[in-house]
Amino acid sequence: MIDINAVISMMMNNQVDIPLLQPLLKPMLEMPLVGYLIALVLWKPFFVLILMPGFATLGIMLLILPWIERKMVGRMQWRVGPREISPHTRGIIQLLADSLRFLFQEVIIHKDAHRSYFLQFPFLYFIPVLLPLLFINAGTAGNPLVPIVSDYGLQLMVALICLMPVFILGVGWASNNRFAFIGTVREAFLYFAYEIPFIIVVLAMIVLYGTSNTVGVVNAQSGVWWGIIQNPLAALTFFIAMVMATARLPFEIPEADQEVSFGPFVEYSGIAFGLAYVMGYEKMYVLSALMTMLFLGGGSGPVIPGLGELSYAIWFVLKTLIVLVVMANLRGVYPRYRLDQALKIGWGAMLILALVAVAWSLVMGVIL
Amino acid sequence: MKKVATPEYDIKDKLKYHVSALSTAAKEVVMPLNITTHYPRERRKWPDCFRGYILFDPERCISCFECSFVCPANAIWMKEAPSGRYYPTLDYGKCIFCHFCVDSCPGGALRSTKIHDVAYKNMDEMFTHTEEMIEPPEIIREDEGYVEYEIDKEDLTLKRTKGKDKLIVDVAPSQGVPMVSLCIDRGSCIACKVCEKVCESGAVSSLLDEAKMIIKMKIDSEKCTGCGLCVKECSMQILRLVRRE
Repeated sequence: MIDINAVISMMMNNQVDIPLLQPLLKPMLEMPLVGYLIALVLWKPFFVLILMPGFATLGIMLLILPWIERKMVGRMQWRVGPREISPHTRGIIQLLADSLRFLFQEVIIHKDAHRSYFLQFPFLYFIPVLLPLLFINAGTAGNPLVPIVSDYGLQLMVALICLMPVFILGVGWASNNRFAFIGTVREAFLYFAYEIPFIIVVLAMIVLYGTSNTVGVVNAQSGVWWGIIQNPLAALTFFIAMVMATARLPFEIPEADQEVSFGPFVEYSGIAFGLAYVMGYEKMYVLSALMTMLFLGGGSGPVIPGLGELSYAIWFVLKTLIVLVVMANLRGVYPRYRLDQALKIGWGAMLILALVAVAWSLVMGVIL
Repeated sequence: MKKVATPEYDIKDKLKYHVSALSTAAKEVVMPLNITTHYPRERRKWPDCFRGYILFDPERCISCFECSFVCPANAIWMKEAPSGRYYPTLDYGKCIFCHFCVDSCPGGALRSTKIHDVAYKNMDEMFTHTEEMIEPPEIIREDEGYVEYEIDKEDLTLKRTKGKDKLIVDVAPSQGVPMVSLCIDRGSCIACKVCEKVCESGAVSSLLDEAKMIIKMKIDSEKCTGCGLCVKECSMQILRLVRRE
């Protein structure tokens, strides 16, 4: 028998502190059912995982990020971008309109597709997307905002992120289409090309910080000594690996529209396509959050008065958004590499950069 | 066989190009050089000589067939009106908008407009009858301004102006040079009466001379519109178009 009062008191002892809302929340916490709910929402692990920077923020990002990308790339290319829907807000609800359209479109599953896997994988993809957020630390040095404190947090995050391409391979396999196969094989090739430098770079940061606990990682970046300043080579390699992992241009090889027409997702339609379409953005979000935590000092920033611990989460989301926008804007700058060129970069320059980053970390962290 | 090698760059050049590409992109995000026209809400201001939809004024038409002769796409057919005169009809399915017809029209009956966005439901509708060419087509104007492109030192810039652009240009149609048909060698006439048959204004008449038992042709220069059909059709090629005195 679970003692409800013990659970509530455990939640009450670990609340997100927002001074501005305190007078409002105090009477509500006294109420029987609403009080439990608010205690749950403001319970730190729940708050980080579900609200900010977790599931809810991810959902908002999925609605806003493709719009930002289209609008900014449009400006780069002297176009206008989405405008017809809600022109006064510059078409910000374009993605809502798109998702409505996806909802009402028929989902066609062709005869040769593996029916259950074909439909399951875009939904199951949320598992490796959301599980890494269990270890994310959106706080600052001394004020952690982390759902689960684990000494192996970073390793677990990397392991879960490395699971993501398996789902894309599954999607391509279940589609049973020649374009999907080609895209899947390309994804598999790229997977090995970026995964090894990616893991080595995270290893370099673990060596530098001397811990793989996400709380310790953020604590090691106090003040202006962010990871990107302590080890810029690692940050650069991590960023390139991130771009490769999410199949953004210049490494948009698995999904190349002009060559294999959206690669593994070619057979999708309706809301299934909508989910498959945002798979890339989900991965982008998780990787950007990881980059913010590893290299950009987590949620550190000037404290916004009145918001207390919420301001850390806001800074964390803002930094993540900046990384996302930089990544999305590469679409307007670079053309696409050939597969062999991308593999050459992955196995050549990036691997060397990653190893140099490890050496840098050894010099910075262990010897100095 | 000569092979073109990929250009070789050293790492300094590569870095320079990366930085240049990224900074250009960043500049365009902040200060974009937008040259897109928001079409239904604003129109581009075309020059007055724009070759668009063709309007027809039957008052000025002298039925000279010049437009249909000159049309390279064979889009203009002359059609007989109830009055017995021939007026042009235009098939927009064939028209290539070269506006040779407008240029060749001696009386200025055809004129160009700036209307370029006409939609048809089917191919048959694209065949425009004479009556439909007199009035401009119905246009739903949603535009609140017009746009002009200006060329700076190196870049195009967009200049937006409020107000509606006039699509039908107020340029006076050409008055043309008044011409008249004239027979230069009456002795060679074989009196085949082709000129009389072809003349739509009734300026050519034939006169039977009882005494000499010959037929004399006569051109009434007052009635002659100078369309030149008789000149084209004359089997002895003795007719000329000359400037009216």
